[in-house]
This record gives sequence, structure tokens and C-alpha cells, in this order.
Amino acid sequence: MFDGEPACLVEMQSISKAFGATRVLKGVTLRLRSGSVHALMGENGAGKSTLMKILAGVHRGDEGRILMNGKPLHLPSPREALAAGISTVFQEMSLLPNLTIAENMFLGREPRMLGGGLDRRRMRAETKKALAELDLKLDADQLVSTLTIAERQFVEIAHGIKAEASVLILDEPTAALNAADVEVLNRSIRRLRAEGKAIVYISHRMDEIFDICDEVTVLKDGQHVATKAISEVTPNSLIAMMVGRELADLFPARAATLAEPVLQLTGFRAGLNARPFDLTLRKGEILGLAGLEGQGQQRIMRSLIGRFPLANGTLRLNGHELKFPRASNGIRVMARLGLAFVPEDRKEEGLMLGLSVATNLVIGLHAEKPAFTRARGLRSVVQRMMDALQVRAASTTIPVGALSGGNQQKVLLGRYLARDVQILVIEEPTRGVDIGAKSEIYGLLRDFANAGGAILVTSRETVELIGLCDRLAVVHDNTVVIEMPAADATEHNILSAALTSDGVAA
Amino acid sequence: MIAWLQSGFSTRRSRHGLWAVPLVIVVVLTAVLSFGTDQFATRENLFNLVSQAMPLLIAAIGQLFVIVVGGLDLSIGSVISFSTAILSLDGPAALLIPAVFVLAGLVGLINGLVITRLNVHPIIATLAMQYILLGITRILRPVSGGEIPGIVIASVQGSFLGLPLPMLWGLFAVGLAAKILYGSRFGLHMFAIGGGVAVGMEDAARNYGIRVDRNIVLAYVACALFAALAGVFLAGRIVSGDPNVGLLFELDAITAVAIGGTQLSGGVGSLHGTVLGAIIMVLLANGMNLANVSPFVQTAIKGGLLLAIVGLQSRKKMGL
Repeated sequence: MFDGEPACLVEMQSISKAFGATRVLKGVTLRLRSGSVHALMGENGAGKSTLMKILAGVHRGDEGRILMNGKPLHLPSPREALAAGISTVFQEMSLLPNLTIAENMFLGREPRMLGGGLDRRRMRAETKKALAELDLKLDADQLVSTLTIAERQFVEIAHGIKAEASVLILDEPTAALNAADVEVLNRSIRRLRAEGKAIVYISHRMDEIFDICDEVTVLKDGQHVATKAISEVTPNSLIAMMVGRELADLFPARAATLAEPVLQLTGFRAGLNARPFDLTLRKGEILGLAGLEGQGQQRIMRSLIGRFPLANGTLRLNGHELKFPRASNGIRVMARLGLAFVPEDRKEEGLMLGLSVATNLVIGLHAEKPAFTRARGLRSVVQRMMDALQVRAASTTIPVGALSGGNQQKVLLGRYLARDVQILVIEEPTRGVDIGAKSEIYGLLRDFANAGGAILVTSRETVELIGLCDRLAVVHDNTVVIEMPAADATEHNILSAALTSDGVAA
Repeated sequence: MIAWLQSGFSTRRSRHGLWAVPLVIVVVLTAVLSFGTDQFATRENLFNLVSQAMPLLIAAIGQLFVIVVGGLDLSIGSVISFSTAILSLDGPAALLIPAVFVLAGLVGLINGLVITRLNVHPIIATLAMQYILLGITRILRPVSGGEIPGIVIASVQGSFLGLPLPMLWGLFAVGLAAKILYGSRFGLHMFAIGGGVAVGMEDAARNYGIRVDRNIVLAYVACALFAALAGVFLAGRIVSGDPNVGLLFELDAITAVAIGGTQLSGGVGSLHGTVLGAIIMVLLANGMNLANVSPFVQTAIKGGLLLAIVGLQSRKKMGL
């Protein structure tokens, strides 16, 4: 793939970094060559982002050193990194919404006129040029707050691609892009590579890695696992390096026997114009709502806690018919009946990121009680959940926001498992969670079902639904069009069921 | 032009904030006062209005700077009183006038350093400074008195080339602020810092290589310097040093900025809005005086207006 050995431009030597008691990087070495795209892979929490933030001057390493062209580089803040020619497209959106595209593009390195004032004309002209190179037709004077997510992502990339930079770090640049956009981006990356820049590419999408990268370095738990030419690896061998096991081992065994129904929907309509359907969830079962994104899976789930007041039909819990809950108190009423709802977006809808792990775990228990009862610490409950869920946290008193995505998700689950619930309704159980933690969460969910619980789950990742569930109900146009045992399901037959449903279900 | 005017009603399409709302209010108030009363549209009254509006306008411009970076400065009332007290001391004007600005700059520097280095919340840091400086001012000049240098008095009275001198003060302050806010890197960086704070991206500006702390300190220094300028103007008008002349000025200045459509969470706001806000405050007071409305009712109306305008702004995150 690469002709000869391009010169090593940047070398990060034995970098270590700890946040408090958590050691995030343990002696990691990374060599970046000019004219080469270097993939950095690993589970979430493996230390990729921290390593790149050290190179970008955002964090300072505790140990180790950084060499550029053989000379040591001191990077106390992003300013010095930028001055050294290291440019970053961060994973988190970092554009300032109250500034225009041109202002964001030049922030921190604005061109000045003779008198010292801002040279807005030059900012505008160069922004136009940079946007055109990425096939973007946007007005340089537009405020970033008016852009779509994909447009922002592109502006972010355009911002990172600076002519004078010699090192370009792309931290999940494609998260918000569709396939056509990715191709535009890849073209730019190839051009930059040809110009001799050293590029670091972080992505979870395998096809992109094999499409664009020359070398790959895998990190695991803050340690360097391997650096290889991309021609020497396969997707499976990469995953094996990242998690230390193959994909198929992620999922626990399915349920052996199913008991009586706990949740029954009959003649259920998820809205006035939706076609009615029946759905039954049994004790010990994990039932997945599959289908194309946005076809009403979420609507059906959230109808159960009254989020959609126009939903109607018959709802039976353990054989008793119930009225549909109302939005104002649906979550409370259903929780009292043993049905817990775990929302999709743990940061916005689920956890209170600034509060401690312990508080987040027991808040559900407190919520059941009258407002002026004494709020006990419930230390034994917290400890029991921490052990059962194997949450990795320095202590239960640190803010839950400081944990990795996987551990946050476990805490969120723990909140509901700590209450004596019978049915879990879960949206996206492993969103933004690394592969190791995914596997653990699947195990927890299966244990819950095996202990007599029942789970209704939806996920954008069809593979996850197939592996995790006992049975799948394919949803299309706000109704269930077909049910199938998960053991027989493939991505292909779910998709074709969803797409041909109009004829079948009519 | 029309699109620009429209953007003044939206905080999404413009970072100047909701400035078109105060524009409408100013137009309506002016029309009502011009047609409703005989005394309003007289040369004497308008001259008087400009003179009244100036200290508030200048102080509000300073306040705008710190509000744009996502802060707040409660100490400017004391800075204003303190400035008049310094000017009323015995000494040559050539010494006293520079001293006012040097000392005010120092106050701003301390405010900024306490906020950025000691991580004290701006409200607390500047509230403390408000008390400290009030104490010092009262030691210097327990009751109103002393003499103000003649050049200061002359500079706020009379006119030049047909324009009232206070108007020139205003043009100078607005021109200087416009140059800083819109034409300099410092200005852009202030908006960047405040915009990040307002949407919970505190690190964003720093990641762009902006010296965040230094810019915040500079904003507080600028705010104190504008307050000192307002103090010098007031000293020229009341012709003495007064430990109470700046009382509650910080709140009026914040109100003027907020009525001008600037978001108190930072990053969104404008100079023209602030000018309009200051004009509204003075027009209301003047109009209600002409209509014989009790000053107590005036105060209540001011509060109601503040609530109404801030309530109109749609903000994702609670600022102030």
C-alpha cells in the first residue's frame, strides 16, 4: 500500500495519562508518517480520544514525550499544538453556534488588516474556497446555529483541513454523514494524503477504515495492542484485537422456555391512522421491535408510558386490562405496575450527569415515595447494584458523567433493576457503548429475563436485535407487519419484510 | 435591509439578539411622547435627555462586554461613585483624570483575575468588589462635595459644531465599542467565549487556541474603564464628588443591556440593541415624568419591561 517507508513525522513515545485514579493511557506509542492515513481503533474508553487530545494540546500527558521531526514538542494548550501544525476535527461538535461559518473557520487565527482590525473580506473569500473544496454550497456569513448536523460536521472538517497544518486528526468525522457525504470526505482525505500530510483517522465504521487508511493502531484499555499495515488485517481480526474475542461471542444464549404472557396489546393502534396489530410479551422473553429507522418502533414503545395520547386499543398487564396511561403521569403509573421505561438518550433523558453514581442508581426508589419522606442513602442497594452490574467507577460518589459510556448505561439500567420491575421497555440499550460493555449489558438483560422478567427492546442496530432477542416484531408504518423467531432472522429478511409489508399486511 | 430587520426578531439567525423589539418600542415611545405632550419635542428637553442618557449608555456598553463573554459586573455602580470621588480630590486635572482610568482598570483587572484564577462566580466576585469600593469611596468622600476639574465640567456642558457635547461623548463611546466588538479579534473572541458558555461548550473557544482567561479579564477591564468614563461624565454634570451617585447604576446598566435584546447567558447581543435599551430607559423615565407618573410606579414598570423582554427570548439554557 505504501511505497517505501514515508518519513516518521510525529512520534508519541510511551504516553501515560490518568484522570484521578483512573489510568486512561498506559505507555502508548504512536508513530505518524507523512502521506499516510493512520487508523486509530479501540473500544470506547480504550483511550483513543484521550491520546488525540494530548496530541492536540487539550490534555497534557503525565508521562512520555512527543517528537516532531525528531525534536521534542511541548504542548501545554491547543494554541501551541495549532502553532506546531497539528489540526483537529474533534468528535464532539465544537463549532460555536453564535458565530458565522467564516468566523468559526478562522477562530483563533483571524487574518488582520494593516490597522489591526479583522480582515473579514479575506475570511469570507477563503471560507468560500474551503467550502467549495468539500462541494458545500453554504453562505460563509451564515450562523452555524442555522446549519443541519451534517452541514456542521462538514464545516468542522473544512475548519480542520488547514493548508498550513501537517498533522490532521479526524476523530469520528463521519458520525453524522451519509454514504455520499463520506465519499466526498474520502476524496479530500486522499488529496491531503497526496500532499504529504499525516492523518489520524478514528472511526467505528469498518468499511471506511479499509477504504481510506494505510495503517492501523489498536488500543485496548489504554494500552497499545498492535500497529499493522491495513493489508495485514481483516475486520474480524481487528475486532478480535479490540475486544480479545470474536463477534459471535458477544451475545448470551437465548431463553429455553417461555412462560405466560405478561404484556398483551390487542387491536393496538399507535395513532389515529395506524393499522391495528396485536403483540404479546411473555415472561422470560426478550422481544425486539425491528425495522427501518423511524417507522414507529419508538412510538409504540412510548405509547406504553402515555407519550402518545392518540394511541388506543386494549392493554393487558398480567391478564388485567388497563387504561392507557397519560403523558403527565404515565411513567409513574406504569412503574408502580412493574413496567419500567429506559429512554434512548441517557444523557438528555436518562441520567443526571452532574449527580453521583449512587444518587442516579437510587433516584428511582426515592421517586416512588412521598416527597417528604427521608431520603436515605440506600448504601446497600447501591453496593448490590454496583456489584451486580459490574460498574467500573472509582467510587459511587463521583458524578455519573465522569464514567465511560458503557458504565453510564449500566448505571441507567441499574436504576430500573434496583426497583422491583417485571417488564423493561428499553430503547437503544447500547447506544454509544463499546463492544466489551455491550456484551456485558446483553448478559445483564438476559439475566433479568431468565429471572422471570420480560423485555421489550428496540435498536437501530439490527445485528444487535437478532443476537439479543428471542423474537422479533418487524415494524413498518407504525404497525407490526410480521413476527419472527430471532434465531431465524437475518438482516436481509427483516429488511425485505419491512419493505414488502404493504402488500402482506393489507 | 428587510432581512436584516427580520433577523432582529430572531436569536437563531443573528447573534445580535432581539434588538428589533426595542427598536419598535423606541419608535412607539417617541411617537407617543411627541404627539401626546407639548414639552417632549423641545430642544431643551431633548438636550436634557441626551445628557441623562449618556452615563447610562456608557456604563451599559461596558456591561455589554462582560455579558457577551457570559459574565456580569455588579461593581460598576461603585466604580462610578469612586471615579467622581477621585476627581473631586485636590490635585491637578492632568493627574486626577488619568488616575481615574488607571484605578478603574485595576478594579477590572482584579475582578477578572478573581473570576478566572480563583474561579469565583462573576456575581459574587463583582458584588464583593462593589462593597469594597463603596467603602473606599466613602472613606475618600463621606458626603457629596469637593471640586471637579473645570475641563471635565466644560466637556459635558455646551455644544460643539451644533452638537451637544454629551452627544459627542456618546458617539465616542459607541464608536470605540463598535471597533472593539465588531472589528477586532478581541471582540470576536468575546462572542466565541460567551457563545460556548451559553450552550455548555466551555472548552470550545480554548480548543480553537483562544486565550480564554486573558480575554475574560480584558472584558472586565474594558467594563470598568467604560464605567469610569461614565463616572467622569457624571462628575462633570453634578459638579462634585458623590459617594452615592452610582448607586444601583449596575442594575440599570444590566437592564438596559437586557432590554436591548442581549442574552444574559452570553454570546448573543449587540451594541445597537444596547443603545436602544438605554434610550428606552431614559425615554420611559422622561415620558412618565412629563405625564406626572410617580417615580415608584416608574421603577415597577422598568421591572415589568425587563421581565417581558427577557421572557421573549428563547433560550435553550438558563442563563440569568
